[in-house]
Amino acid sequence: MATPLAYDLEAAETRRRWPEALREFSTRRPLGAIGAVVIVFMLLVAVLAPVISPYDPVAIDFGAMLARPSPAHWLGTDSFGRDVLSRLIHGSRTALLVGFGASILGAALGAILGVGSAYFGGRVDLYVQRVMDIFLAFPLIILALALVAILGNSIPNLILAITVPMIPRCALVIRASALSIREMAYVDAARAAGFGHARIVLRHMLPNVMAPFLIMLTAFVGQAILLESSLSFLGLGVQEPTPAWGLMLSGAAVEFAERAPWMAVFPGLAISLAVFAFNLFGDSLRDALDPRLRTQ
Amino acid sequence: MRTYLFKRFLLMIPTLLGVALVTFLLIRVIPGDVVELRYSGDRGAVSQELLDKERARIGLDQPVWRQFATWIWGVARLDFGQSMWTGAPIWQEIKLRFALSLQVAVMATIVAVLLAIPLGVLAALKQDTWIDYAVRVFSIAGLAMPSFWLGIVLILMLLIVFSWLPPMVYTPFWVNPWQNMAQLIWPALAVGYRYSAVATRMTRSAMLEVLREDYIRTARAKGLMQKLVLSRHALKNAMLPVLTVVAIEFAFLIGGLVVTEQVFNLNGIGLLFVQAVAHRDYTLLQALVMLVAGVFILVNFLMDVAYAWLDPRIRYR
Amino acid sequence: MRRCRGGFIALLVLALAQPAWAQEKPHSGGELVFVVPSEPPSYDAHQEETFGVIHPMAPHYSTLLRVDPFDKTGTRPVGDLAESWTVSRDGLVYTFKIRRGVKFHDGTELTAKDIKASYDKILSPPAGVKSLRASAYGSVKAVEAPDASTVRFTLKWPESSLLLNLASPWNWIYKADILAKDPHWYEKNVMGTGPFKFTEHVRGSHWVGKKNPDYWDKGKPYLDGYRAIFISNSAAQVAAVRGERAMIQFRGFSPPERDSLVQALGPKIAVQESPWDCLNFVSMHHEKKPFDDKRVRRALSLALDRYEGSKALSRITLVKDVAGIIVPGTPYATPPQELEKLAGYGRDINANRAEARRLLKEAGVPEGFAFTFKNRGIPHPYEPVGIWLIDQWRQIGLNVKQEILEASAYHPMLKRGDFEVAMDFQCGFIVEPDLDLARFTSTSDANYGKHKDTVIDDLYVRQARAADPEERKKILRTLEKRLLDEETHVVYTLQWHRIIPHNSKVKGWTITPSHYLNNQLDTVWLAE
Repeated sequence: MATPLAYDLEAAETRRRWPEALREFSTRRPLGAIGAVVIVFMLLVAVLAPVISPYDPVAIDFGAMLARPSPAHWLGTDSFGRDVLSRLIHGSRTALLVGFGASILGAALGAILGVGSAYFGGRVDLYVQRVMDIFLAFPLIILALALVAILGNSIPNLILAITVPMIPRCALVIRASALSIREMAYVDAARAAGFGHARIVLRHMLPNVMAPFLIMLTAFVGQAILLESSLSFLGLGVQEPTPAWGLMLSGAAVEFAERAPWMAVFPGLAISLAVFAFNLFGDSLRDALDPRLRTQ
Repeated sequence: MRTYLFKRFLLMIPTLLGVALVTFLLIRVIPGDVVELRYSGDRGAVSQELLDKERARIGLDQPVWRQFATWIWGVARLDFGQSMWTGAPIWQEIKLRFALSLQVAVMATIVAVLLAIPLGVLAALKQDTWIDYAVRVFSIAGLAMPSFWLGIVLILMLLIVFSWLPPMVYTPFWVNPWQNMAQLIWPALAVGYRYSAVATRMTRSAMLEVLREDYIRTARAKGLMQKLVLSRHALKNAMLPVLTVVAIEFAFLIGGLVVTEQVFNLNGIGLLFVQAVAHRDYTLLQALVMLVAGVFILVNFLMDVAYAWLDPRIRYR
Repeated sequence: MRRCRGGFIALLVLALAQPAWAQEKPHSGGELVFVVPSEPPSYDAHQEETFGVIHPMAPHYSTLLRVDPFDKTGTRPVGDLAESWTVSRDGLVYTFKIRRGVKFHDGTELTAKDIKASYDKILSPPAGVKSLRASAYGSVKAVEAPDASTVRFTLKWPESSLLLNLASPWNWIYKADILAKDPHWYEKNVMGTGPFKFTEHVRGSHWVGKKNPDYWDKGKPYLDGYRAIFISNSAAQVAAVRGERAMIQFRGFSPPERDSLVQALGPKIAVQESPWDCLNFVSMHHEKKPFDDKRVRRALSLALDRYEGSKALSRITLVKDVAGIIVPGTPYATPPQELEKLAGYGRDINANRAEARRLLKEAGVPEGFAFTFKNRGIPHPYEPVGIWLIDQWRQIGLNVKQEILEASAYHPMLKRGDFEVAMDFQCGFIVEPDLDLARFTSTSDANYGKHKDTVIDDLYVRQARAADPEERKKILRTLEKRLLDEETHVVYTLQWHRIIPHNSKVKGWTITPSHYLNNQLDTVWLAE
């Protein structure tokens, strides 16, 4: 088992090697690199959506209903004659907005709670743990469902509804990681030396939970995107005529699954690809950042 | 260890109480109530007087604290009341659906474990080779696909390719095992594949971590066969975090399969949840949340017991 | 020779009078399996209003009158428990002769007092019991049972719709003795005189009924029993019919669902279609600017290309016919040529839209004017029609944002009047103008747009009292013109379209515009 001091040194080493780590990452971890490329591509698409989409995503064209993929409509049209490709492109905005928004917010709040809870220990830990346990006991989708029912159907409300169930899950992971550092002798040594709470938390604990935090963040972006699509599928997420991937998969897409399979296939692929990329990237990130898992 | 476990057991109670309170308040914040919904009048209106009388009959006109007290008192006597939507006793509403959800959860967990452990171990042993990559891609693919999409595709394939449809009505296992399996194997596979992803990853990283332990290196250096090393030393220690993950995922499966149940048309707890929220059926919703939370908390407690037993540091506290 | 000819003529008359498949002789036997999208909350139809009660439970009960199960318009009342009836000259007294030998499922005999007790419960329920349709019988002064086989209804004023009202599928006849002991008994129990006896109900799963061997109509029911399976997901319902695990669903499927069934099963599927007694219309709040100006309201109606919309939307959702205030195909419906004269129903859409723009300008509504359209979150046909409406209004320079509300938020929103423009609906369980048009009177609780038009109130009362059907038709035309054209209080969109693809083995069931009618299943039989 690595000694506390050695661990600290190794962690410091990791921080210094960031730029090299990036290059090393792409060559030694091709899967993660692929994931990263896909993510960057999606971000570009989302940002440039109005520029690159061939048609207006909400423009109805009954003359071109249910058209198969063709040079005019690369991915075909849906039951209203709306271009699937354009809707997919604009849908990426919703997906990434909700995905990033909810997971960053959730992960950040969760991290604060987790680290704080681990650091202060004792009563604080007990109470925070109880509250987290209570919210963890609710199934993810039920909590999101209830929150959407209360708050209504807009995108900010959707982000909030997905953030809240995320917080305890993030807090749990971060707390476990922070606890293992808390147990390390050097934290007690730092306290003994008279360093303040803030300094210890910021300089010693936070950087060392950064690795699990980032891994969790990327995993949770994927989860958030899936949750948003599930909610839209159930009719509780984004509403028509706003394009969103989950929304494109519900109702009409299922009914026309045989006659116009492109309506369901492409949004499904888009969601899968997005979540896949985030998970792939996160997986490789974990391998790269966790010194204990590096190959010898 | 006994005092530790006793303390953990005691902690279950405030958690459950907390869940009860939060649920109670949360669902009452959602606008609309069961009476309004029941008599919303697809054909015209119903008088306000009628609505108020209904509310009084169900007990919705009481102040919130009194409603809570009445309900908690009932729960303490294991009486969960009647559904506000149908008037039937809660237990009657839940029992069939719980049996189904429980069975799907168990079957899915078995599928997940059967997939995760061999694949995870394999990936750990062959780290950074193409086998490792293949396993990781395979398991992440399961995590990435929306469950409803997978379900739709599966059912459509069964229909188009085999012209066969799973049974529509739930028959308990002891009544007709063949029909029971024919209906539930598909969602179990879809869900199990999805949940194996997390377990596979966990197994892989746990294995990797353990393989680096000094005593493993010593064992290998001593020349023991790799297989022996794995089976006795590595696996046992790797099991703990994997077990945690599997247990937690299992707890999530009860009540978390809302979309899957819709797609496979399973009459389970998830669907009941959605209906209860849609109907604002407070008593049913409260009972369901208590059930799911209860399962979750129980599983957590059992995990604590397992940890306490397996981890010597806690055992001798 | 003469005997032969007489017999031949009789056969001819018989063949012409009955529907097509009646030429085939019904077989007895078999179990009808059908799917129902929702479950009954309680078992008392007097207190419920969802089809989830009617579909699985109607076969257990009889009503005084019912709608002719072979009539496609669903408007012809025939006797169920009533053998015959007479109406007094002044139209105030209806006397019904009740069949003898009708037995409840527990073996006791039905008499007129059971019918009186059931109607007393419907018209003036005891304390603590609700009756949702009491207001439809405002004209009834008293219900009496002078002897065991006579029931007499005395009215305060003549009402031509009474017979159809009494044929309501909700007015199940209960046992008087049980009602006297416990008026809540029927909320949790089943005891009727219908063609099928109650076997079991497993919550969340299915409902089973078995043939009633003592049913008064000897020889019926043909089926040995039925099984209703509760499936809420519509894709799963289609899969059930497609996989031949269920034979029919009595509410309706969407056009693509019908197409996929026809394509997959070919001759094994028969499709029945009919206009539905349901329609979405746009409600504009008359107390909010600029919708208090009838020019603006008229413009919103003129913008809609109903005929093109019908062609396209009927391929993807549950709407089809361009209609006025009465369900097309029923006796009081406006003929299409007459309909074209109303605002927004003309064929020249460009002229209509130009007119709409002109009206908006005149009313002071600027180009690009924005408002919120509140719609209900139901996939068929609310959402597609909503999307279409927004697109059509865009064509006259209006910038409309849609806000979708979940069902539980939708009704309170309408009731509170918390909207500028909202999607509203007019659905009936029987095609009867008195019931379908009551909401457009000034005092109706369902008049969410809050229009106050005494002319319409007056016309409504006159058509209800009209004894001559031709005169009633004329009054209804005038009412329609006032509602949709002169004042444009509401904007009617397209009539819903009911599509029932079912296994071709199922015979003896005729579609009507209402999914609450024709569910007793006594006339249904299964071919080999």
